[in-house]
Amino acid sequence: MATQTVLSHTVPAPRRNLVSTLAKTLRKPQFWFGFIVLFPVLAWYIWFAFGPVLRAFWMATVKYDLMNPQDSKFVGLQNFQQVFSYPLFWISVQRTITFSLYVYVGTLPLALFVSLCLVAVGQGRNFYQSMIFLPVVVSYVAIALLFRMLMDPQNGQFNQILRALGLPTSLWVTGPNSALPSIAMVDIWKGLGFHVVIITAGLLGIPAEMYDAAKVDGAGPWHRFRFVTIPLLGNTLLLESVIMVAGTLQAFTNGEVLGCAGDSCFFISRLVYAEAFTNLRFGFATASAFVLFVFILVLTIIQVRSLKPDWQY
Amino acid sequence: MQKAVILPATSARPLSLGWIGRIFPHIILLFLTFTSLMPFVWMFFGSFKTYVEITAGKTFLPAHWTFDNYTQITQRVGFPQAFLNTTMVAVGVTLATLITSAAAGYVFAKYRFWGKEQVFTVLLSTMMVPFAVVLVPLYVTVANLGLADKLTGIIVTGLCSTFGIFLMRQFMESIPNDLIDAGRIDGAGEWWIFSRVVLPLAKASLSALAVFTFLGSWDSYLWPLVVLTSPENQTLPLVLAGLRNLYWSRYELYAAGSMLTVLPVMIVYMAASKYFVQGIAMTGLKG
Repeated sequence: MATQTVLSHTVPAPRRNLVSTLAKTLRKPQFWFGFIVLFPVLAWYIWFAFGPVLRAFWMATVKYDLMNPQDSKFVGLQNFQQVFSYPLFWISVQRTITFSLYVYVGTLPLALFVSLCLVAVGQGRNFYQSMIFLPVVVSYVAIALLFRMLMDPQNGQFNQILRALGLPTSLWVTGPNSALPSIAMVDIWKGLGFHVVIITAGLLGIPAEMYDAAKVDGAGPWHRFRFVTIPLLGNTLLLESVIMVAGTLQAFTNGEVLGCAGDSCFFISRLVYAEAFTNLRFGFATASAFVLFVFILVLTIIQVRSLKPDWQY
Repeated sequence: MQKAVILPATSARPLSLGWIGRIFPHIILLFLTFTSLMPFVWMFFGSFKTYVEITAGKTFLPAHWTFDNYTQITQRVGFPQAFLNTTMVAVGVTLATLITSAAAGYVFAKYRFWGKEQVFTVLLSTMMVPFAVVLVPLYVTVANLGLADKLTGIIVTGLCSTFGIFLMRQFMESIPNDLIDAGRIDGAGEWWIFSRVVLPLAKASLSALAVFTFLGSWDSYLWPLVVLTSPENQTLPLVLAGLRNLYWSRYELYAAGSMLTVLPVMIVYMAASKYFVQGIAMTGLKG
């Protein structure tokens, strides 16, 4: 067993060799190492990843009986019908999409702009990057409580700054109309560093010759940005877009802890949580989660189809 | 405005827009550094203010520094216990994730066996499923094992990480086969090669993964909220979030609780921010 790392032979062997092939495989130390590693990992995946997904399919199509789950009656798509005729579900859909749009539109240009600044500075890049990244690593619960303080409508620091500047104050999260933009602002602030790191890495990966060639052709800064930076950043921006859409549509903690006015931050994940663990409607909750899943899946496919660059380098 | 900063992708070359182009990005980045830090500074000072002072909101620095908020929070709300719980969960999950990710990543990178790519794709596909979909079924799975309201219920669901396996596979693929084969020719066992040759090479990636996992587990909210119900079993984010029901608008207590929750995270981050940023960039590029 000199040079190859062969765990088992895949070539269709003649039948009479099957036993000897198997015996040979079983004698290999690689087989045993691979087996000892993969067996528990795959068992874990079956138990804690695939199992729950299958159980979710089942749960969404039965009237879940909390006392005797195995006696739950199959009801087909009835849970989904209930979800779609539930007014609060549509409210949560509207809140989630609006929040997601705010964060997307706010983060992407800002993160690109900051990344361009980071690439432009030679010295201090790591320092700036780690500082801007700091809010990313901090617990969202702590951040939500912190911004409750800063956004307090009476004496919060934000309103004090606005007053000092002679601007009208805001109710922030406690106002029915200002709640979603406020919570989106917090989310942009918290997530910016993450997106900046990814885009900066993408920018630094663009070969300098591309810019030199464009320069030789007489392209000004704007043209170089538009026709060199943006297209060559295609894969990174696609990844960013997909991560951001999938992430914001699953928002939970901020809406839960920031204390928004009424149902103004009632996101789909909060509906799932509340239906499951407050109203104990497991089937309904899981069915609404599936709607979210399908929605994210469709949006991801659309993004990949429409944004995928048609070049390689 | 953007024009000023676009120019060279290579960092070493000076910008051709003169001193404005050189200063402008620094101004923007300094401003962002300020906005990133300022809320934490407010939180820090706020945690030493009295209720009257913080609700009046007139001062930036505390007029009289007081430790009352910290004593109250550690004595009346179960913060020390929550601290212990969170540490246990975060350490357990991190250790397990490092072991399973390194080993499985190595096998997926360097071994050849039937159905490898298919199995790997199926593992990766679990990342596509929103957590909300498995929230209830995963809770039922954990409850069926008798682990509801137990810290082990959180740890057991964090033993493997798809992201970790993916990250480690990416790295392990860059290890030359010759190194591994040399070990085999010398008669080394598979375990010896893995632990003495492969793991030391993977130190940087493992550190990045360790920091990711530790902080992710430390900050996690939704899953512990579902599993851990009794106060003595709760983790820091849960106890912290509970403050808003126990004490309405007591910002000085929120600030003190947040400080206790955030401080360890900041220390870990400051010590390891190099690995952290590298790790994200690594996955971002390959993803």
